[in-house]
Amino acid sequence: MAEAVTKGSYVTKPKKRSGDAWHVFWHTGDWWHHILLIILLILMFIPIIMMLIISFKTVAQFSMDPFFPTFPLHPENYERAFTVIWRYILNSIIVSGISVLGVISLATIAAWAFARYPFPGRDILYYLILALMMVPGELTLVPQFLLVKGLGLLNTRWVLILPYIAGGQVFAIFVLRSFFEGLPEELFEAARIDGASELQSFTRIALPMSSSIIGVVAIMNVTGTWNDLIWPTITVSTRRLMTMTVGLYAFRNEMYTQWGSLMAGYTIASIPMIILFAFTSNLFVEGLASGALKM
Amino acid sequence: MATATASTTAVVRAPKKETLWRRIVRYKHAYAMIAITFILLMFFNYYPAFMGLYRAFFNYDVGLKPEFIGFGNFVKLFTVDKTFIKSLGNVAIFTIWRVISAMIFPFLAAELIFGLTNAKHKYGYRLAMIIPIVVPGMVSILLWQFIYDGVNGLLNALLGAVGLASLQHAWLGDPSVALGAVTLMGFPWVGGTNVLIYLAGLQGITNEIVDSAKIDGCTGFRRVWYIDIPLIRGQFKLLIVLSIMGGLQGWSTIFVMTKGGPGTATMVPGMWLYNNAFQWNKMGYASAIGLFMFVIIMTLTIVNMKFIKTSES
Repeated sequence: MAEAVTKGSYVTKPKKRSGDAWHVFWHTGDWWHHILLIILLILMFIPIIMMLIISFKTVAQFSMDPFFPTFPLHPENYERAFTVIWRYILNSIIVSGISVLGVISLATIAAWAFARYPFPGRDILYYLILALMMVPGELTLVPQFLLVKGLGLLNTRWVLILPYIAGGQVFAIFVLRSFFEGLPEELFEAARIDGASELQSFTRIALPMSSSIIGVVAIMNVTGTWNDLIWPTITVSTRRLMTMTVGLYAFRNEMYTQWGSLMAGYTIASIPMIILFAFTSNLFVEGLASGALKM
Repeated sequence: MATATASTTAVVRAPKKETLWRRIVRYKHAYAMIAITFILLMFFNYYPAFMGLYRAFFNYDVGLKPEFIGFGNFVKLFTVDKTFIKSLGNVAIFTIWRVISAMIFPFLAAELIFGLTNAKHKYGYRLAMIIPIVVPGMVSILLWQFIYDGVNGLLNALLGAVGLASLQHAWLGDPSVALGAVTLMGFPWVGGTNVLIYLAGLQGITNEIVDSAKIDGCTGFRRVWYIDIPLIRGQFKLLIVLSIMGGLQGWSTIFVMTKGGPGTATMVPGMWLYNNAFQWNKMGYASAIGLFMFVIIMTLTIVNMKFIKTSES
């Protein structure tokens, strides 16, 4: 029976003794999958590994042997980089954090309204939102800049947060609406019979059931705003408010050829995402596995 | 006669109008739920989009009075502005490669993971694939800039180590290779998120289909071609649309790596728009570039929606 389970079927196998496991490993052809996947992963990780190795080098060590670890390690690179970069990272955390909270709270509520209530004009309004997905940043960049300049928002945090919340909702509503629509109607019917209010069926049933997809949308939103470069470049010029991307770019230009400190700075800039990811990777993997992301 | 028509329409319309109004009132909470969303979109998305369309027809330099010039900006774009024409070719290369690579490499990786028999191994690879996304996009662009560095770069060191020193270049500084270097950045082109999206599609294929295919002798590459690919069209479509949009709009890479140079070797419309708007204050001309890109992106998206049917339909 176990032999019948081969590629293409995703029935999990019952636990087996190690001899059997090796047998399966060899005869199902898994081995060449493993070889290819491991080569692929090594290639994917090379830039990261290189960044870590170089981040511990002095300029002299780098010029002698740029790519392999050299001793002694120089963690003071991190100290030097941190004194410059911490402020940019803090700014990014504030901006991305407030933005994602805004996006998720507004988008879940709006997506729920679109999914559950057949109000007049619903489809037109929904398509109006979807249409924004086809509007490129290139079309709106200049007018958006002139708008925030007119509103006197340049060089504030709001110049980043407000457009991020507005723009981030579009994709979030698109994904969440289709997910909410897929939730079985019977559940809400049953809740209603048990005397649950509309609000309760939203907060007690719909939200918990969609936590993983909300997590995916939130993480995608954070990575988007966290990595945004162009908008902060043109709207924020005071150092005190610069976000991580803009700050790193400036840092690169100041420290050019000081590869050790530069790479230490790049590593430090990655840490917040590593922390976020450590807590949410399961959610993210599961949410993506739900198959909600397609057209 | 006229009064009769008027009264009939009135009779026909009256109850309809009332029910519509009543329905609006009945669902007033739904409107309240989408109100803030629309207020924000109005300010930061619809208004700028509209103004972008509008200003494209003006000669609008910052500090000067806007002057309506009809299609003047567009005529200039396509007859005088050689850099713009060149940037269109560059962005086409850039985008085509992005679409092709998003269709092939993450899909192959997903098939490799999907083909594993051990669920734990599958999960391990899934996790490993997405770990690299913790590195901020900015950092990976800067890392690639370092890889391509003419003096200290990893690529040149590798070429030197395997005896191909003749192929060494200042990858981003040499006009003959810069566009290729920028386009092919990101090797091995397997975005972890994309792999997971494909994998989710593959795992959504029901057991019955897989089993009956197996009975019919449809396994291995034949299964991939005749069953997997058609059944996860929805995922392909999403990633194609996202790659087209990303390719046409994604010029942060260019901005950081080359600023469109050397010369105009890697110029793309977004970069050219930025130069016009924020270096030379030509807001009207920049808006015209934006409007043109909007038309291109919309056309491509609609074509894609029309011609690649989804799995559900």
